[in-house]
Amino acid sequence: MSETKQHQQSLVSQKFIASAKIGKILANRCLNCGFTMLETIYFCEKCFSSTFQHVEFDGVGKVVTFTIQAVTPEGFEDVGSYAWVVFKMDNASFRVSGFLPGIVTPADLPIGSRVRVSDYDPKHGLLLKKI
Amino acid sequence: MIVIFLVSVNKALDLPIKWTILYVACLTFLYVKIYFLAMINKVCVLGAGSTKYGKLDEGIVEIALNASKEAISSAGITPKDIQAGYISNVFGVADKQVHMAPVIMSNLGIPYVPGLTIESACGSGSVMLREAYANIAAGFYDCVLSLGVEKVTHVGTLQSTTLFSYCSDFFYEGGSGASFPGLFATIARSYMNTFKATEEDLAHVAVKNHENGLLNPKAHVRKKITVDDVLNSPMVASPLKLYDCCPFSDGASAVILCNEEFAKKSGRQYVEIIGSGRGASPAAVQGREDITTIPSTIAAAKQAYAMAGITPKDIDFAEVHDCFTIAEIIDIEDLGFFPKGTAASAVTEGATRRNGAIPINPSGGLKSKGHPIGATGVGQVVEVFEQFTGNAKDRTIKDAEIALTHNFGATGASAAVHIFKKVK
Repeated sequence: MSETKQHQQSLVSQKFIASAKIGKILANRCLNCGFTMLETIYFCEKCFSSTFQHVEFDGVGKVVTFTIQAVTPEGFEDVGSYAWVVFKMDNASFRVSGFLPGIVTPADLPIGSRVRVSDYDPKHGLLLKKI
Repeated sequence: MIVIFLVSVNKALDLPIKWTILYVACLTFLYVKIYFLAMINKVCVLGAGSTKYGKLDEGIVEIALNASKEAISSAGITPKDIQAGYISNVFGVADKQVHMAPVIMSNLGIPYVPGLTIESACGSGSVMLREAYANIAAGFYDCVLSLGVEKVTHVGTLQSTTLFSYCSDFFYEGGSGASFPGLFATIARSYMNTFKATEEDLAHVAVKNHENGLLNPKAHVRKKITVDDVLNSPMVASPLKLYDCCPFSDGASAVILCNEEFAKKSGRQYVEIIGSGRGASPAAVQGREDITTIPSTIAAAKQAYAMAGITPKDIDFAEVHDCFTIAEIIDIEDLGFFPKGTAASAVTEGATRRNGAIPINPSGGLKSKGHPIGATGVGQVVEVFEQFTGNAKDRTIKDAEIALTHNFGATGASAAVHIFKKVK
């Protein structure tokens, strides 16, 4: 299973992962219309241009929604209780989702809590930290 | 001739020439639209069959063949009448069989009849049905087999949870630890936070669907439950508990689709498909502008209603995709049965029960009947067929003549809606 994940990561976007490792979210800004979207998208959603400029945003934002799972997918059995979080970036129009360890009950993470990207783990994807 | 007539009228009334151009353009558009509509063959459901849903001992091919045999018998045809096979399946690899269609066709004794296997996660059945529908409507075939099948229970909960997570946008979701209950739990929390719905409201969906499933001999979980049972069941992914979630199921469902001429010649009871729509949404939940709605459902429903020439008020009952209780609440708003933010209270008040204003999931839905993901969308059509041909017994919706099925893949990244009419 982890072999499959490693393979996918090597294909999708090493640049996105490299940015996440320093707490940033890498995005594409369309050179034709200026719309900004996640780096893994190949064509602009607004004008369908494929010429982009890379833009790095601070991976900081507010929790929009989340869950704490009792049954987790394979590879996450040994990490203890965590939240899977969708958060709205402070300085970008889009949302990002990731893995936030150490969250045990919903009371630990009220909607609107602030989180930041802390790393990209090859086993667990985009890692978040509560701030 | 019409153009000459319009020009004459125009001259007589001394109207500007641009009015004439506008009239001619409108009439041309209407003519072309009517011409193409007339070219579409009516598509009918002539027979239907289903295995029991649940934990089945047979292999995936045998399960598929059992449902196919029942559908063929129900339609009063033999395999030689079938000109193509459409098979939906997601996790055939879990039972060591992919490229399912030729294997099914060979075992039905028609190895030289073309088959096609289609995958669209939990929406595979309805998406496949749409392709079968389109091929009959376009006149390529007179009669086809439309079959959905799944077998996953033998791999266990951890492996099933992992396999299902591959249906997400894996780089952003499954790969960061989101399971499917987890993804729907984020949707539930967002909905509850926005519209002040409660966990008790969600529980009422499960209670109602289990009540219906008790009347369905082929349902996976035939057990009466209460709101307290749901609220006290183990947490799976907060705020969703065990009874908010559908089970992993094995099972197969099949229908025989044909054109109207074929159906009439058979002399048997049949059901007409009067609307069909497909929709899409951003694959990842993070990509949705509004997490409390599913755009693919709205798009597919709009197309299906337009094709059928009806509105949500004309639907007598619906089979919708209730993989989790929150999904049914969002579905019935997106399908137009309730205004946004009101479905939770409507369910609690009983509006979706079998005797309610709009009965939802009389079969028991995914929640009670079960969710063999490749088969689910076809199983919904089997329920409609049984309802409209007098075979739904105690769960019959009285005087129903128009029904809707709605089925989506993953968190609604793909969806299809179909509308059916009882043929008297």
